[in-house]
Amino acid sequence: MYKLLLSWRYLRTRFIALASIVSVTLGVATLIVVNSVMSGFVDQMKHRLHGVLSDIEMSAPLLSEIHHSEYTVEQIRELLGDDLEEVTCVVRTPALMAFQSPHGMPVQQQVMLIGIDDETFGKVTDFEPYLQHARKQTEFSFQLEHDGYKDEYGHSGWALRKHKAEQQKLIEEHHRQNMLRAQKEQSRWDNSQSQPVAQASWQEPVAANADDGPRKPNFVTLPTKIRPIEEILAEKEKNQSASPAPAPQFTGVDPHAHLRERVAVEDMFDSTKDQYTGIILGQAIAKRLAVDEDQNVSDVFLLRPGDDVQVMVTTVGRSPKPVSDMCTVVDFYNSNMHEYDSQFAFMPISELQKMRGMVNPMTGRGSVSTIQIKLKDGVDLNEAKLAMLGRFPVTEYFCDIKTWEDTQRPLLQAVGMELTILNILLFLIIAVAGFGILATFYMIVVEKTRDIGILKALGAPSGGVMSIFLGYGVSLGAVGTGAGIVLGLLFVRYINEIADMVQGFTGQEIFDPTIYYFSEIPTIVSPWMVAGVALGAIAIAVLASVLPSLRAARLHPVEALRYE
Amino acid sequence: MSKSTSAARPTAGRGKKYKPVRPPFSVVHSSILSTTGLYKSYRKGKHEVPVLKGVDVEIAEGAFTTIVGQSGSGKSTLLHLLATLDAPDRGEIHYDQTRIDNLSAKRKEHIRNQEFGLIFQFYHLLPELTTLENVLIPRMVQDGLFRYLANRRRYAKDAKELLDMVGLGHRLTHKPSELSGGEMQRTAIARSLISNPKILLADEPTGNLDEENGAEVMKTLEELRKQKNLTIVMVTHDPELARASDHVIHLVGGKVQ
Repeated sequence: MYKLLLSWRYLRTRFIALASIVSVTLGVATLIVVNSVMSGFVDQMKHRLHGVLSDIEMSAPLLSEIHHSEYTVEQIRELLGDDLEEVTCVVRTPALMAFQSPHGMPVQQQVMLIGIDDETFGKVTDFEPYLQHARKQTEFSFQLEHDGYKDEYGHSGWALRKHKAEQQKLIEEHHRQNMLRAQKEQSRWDNSQSQPVAQASWQEPVAANADDGPRKPNFVTLPTKIRPIEEILAEKEKNQSASPAPAPQFTGVDPHAHLRERVAVEDMFDSTKDQYTGIILGQAIAKRLAVDEDQNVSDVFLLRPGDDVQVMVTTVGRSPKPVSDMCTVVDFYNSNMHEYDSQFAFMPISELQKMRGMVNPMTGRGSVSTIQIKLKDGVDLNEAKLAMLGRFPVTEYFCDIKTWEDTQRPLLQAVGMELTILNILLFLIIAVAGFGILATFYMIVVEKTRDIGILKALGAPSGGVMSIFLGYGVSLGAVGTGAGIVLGLLFVRYINEIADMVQGFTGQEIFDPTIYYFSEIPTIVSPWMVAGVALGAIAIAVLASVLPSLRAARLHPVEALRYE
Repeated sequence: MSKSTSAARPTAGRGKKYKPVRPPFSVVHSSILSTTGLYKSYRKGKHEVPVLKGVDVEIAEGAFTTIVGQSGSGKSTLLHLLATLDAPDRGEIHYDQTRIDNLSAKRKEHIRNQEFGLIFQFYHLLPELTTLENVLIPRMVQDGLFRYLANRRRYAKDAKELLDMVGLGHRLTHKPSELSGGEMQRTAIARSLISNPKILLADEPTGNLDEENGAEVMKTLEELRKQKNLTIVMVTHDPELARASDHVIHLVGGKVQ
């Protein structure tokens, strides 16, 4: 009874004990906060890494292909059975993308082009939630939308294409005017040169003069929608075979007029109404930062939905050749993982297969480069991976089979290491608090030497005296830990509000969502972690009080009574 | 106390039994506490300082015995040895016909708690506790938590009675720092009596008090002795007090004169 009473009284009357409690409290609170934020962070990061990557990936080496993909998929379905949620095939290849920025600058950029099956891809990975256009998140397609794009892009969608077509028309008009003027100048100059000789031919028709005109402008062939223009022309010719078209006459106004006449308007590629193959770009490919005169930072988009880009890839096979095609940007993809957002570009798998010559002309079936697999919740990824490695040996299939954790191992390991070191460092904080308790207790024992002598003189055993100070240590640890837990949990609960508040006071942004992957500080409080921290802190407090308690227990009563 | 009753006492009955050492001279009262050939020396650095050099004393039951002597004559050391706070280098101490100087620590603690009441010159109250709690400390030490809680009302009643007896019934909740020296010493006396001891061992209880307070403390002690049939052993250097006692033990240079 005296042990409890004295422990309690020492606790209440010693101000210095409060310092020990505060140090334990702060240590415990810090550990809880840091652990919660770190595990929240890691969890969110894993979630994102995982979501984009699919559970297991079976991929052929870069630039090569998995033949018989349909057969392989069947085999995978058979092998994994009920564990399998969904499987999808993709073609993944590095590609060069060329486009013109809104300011007229030509840009070439390397991207990882991924041909996806829009039926199944979204079921295997978290693809659709990261699309920026709201409608695409629910009803996915590679079609350009009329509206619903974010305002920050500026002109986008079909409006942008119309706008650009108008601009183009103006430019062409301007160009034509310039050309006409130049031709007039040229002919006047020619005439002035040949005036004495050919004065009589002045009245000759212009066409005669134009045949040996100075220079014909060299136009590129007109882009077409689907069918090559030759085909259309041939068709037209067939239809009008009875009445052969008059010989083309160069008017000096429109060099393609003779073509225009013969192609039906609806067959022409009209960029205000038609789009190329849709492509979805990682937002970081297009997004740049700009600073204006007032030092305001803003986002500038080099590409907007509606812009056309040229994509260059190589064909598969023994001797790869570069091929290119036009694509129309239909949306952006933003997972907030910069590694992905600055690399990925998605287009329909069928188009990419056609481009790269991956379609077997005999069967009409395409090969793929990667098969992505999503397993049911709770299935062991590594077990499934091993089963697949057994079924598809690398000597036969030449395929790499990896779980998403394998793919991101360096990052996950780095984060795990960080967490471990952080915990060690923070436990050192509590150890420092422990030494604080040790010193404090030693002082208290010295101060209480006479009291210890009195208790021993009155018949208290050494163990009893020791347990006064041990109990004191335990209560210090327990009170400090309890307060630390409450403080830590409150801090975690209101961490975003606290960050905002600190930001308000100091003007310094604590948590910049553009730097981190998340808009809010993510936290996860694990009860095991809290229990572990609490036990550790109490253990340290008890250990720190053992030494002073032993000293108290060993004091000789007579010497203790004489102590002044 | 007769031999048969002392043999029935549980505390004295346990452990080794020794034949009672009868002193060569006969006294009025039977002896309750005695020492034979007590030697004690302290180490101070390299030097060994002998304090007691063969002390034989007999404390008669129910008597008021004083130990007097010069500073350094070993009177406090003798009292500490009698109270089992310290162990002699040589010699024996008998209490109630049982040798107590070589008992286990646990038995010694029990004797200090139950059989002896201790009073010190500097009162030695626990500063964090109130007067009442200070008086109750020996009871708390004696009992475990639950037994103490079960008996706490009885103990508190006893303690209040004792404090009433020493005239402090109105200061139960005061801390020692709020009491005068005399009041603190009277609290210490109440504390020493809470376990109903047989012997009161006092180390200069009035040494730190003025005459008036000292006289009051002595008066209280005398009353209690009569009331409770206590044996009192008191170390003092006040010849007045020695003269008032039943027996006086003179210590000179570590020996009884």
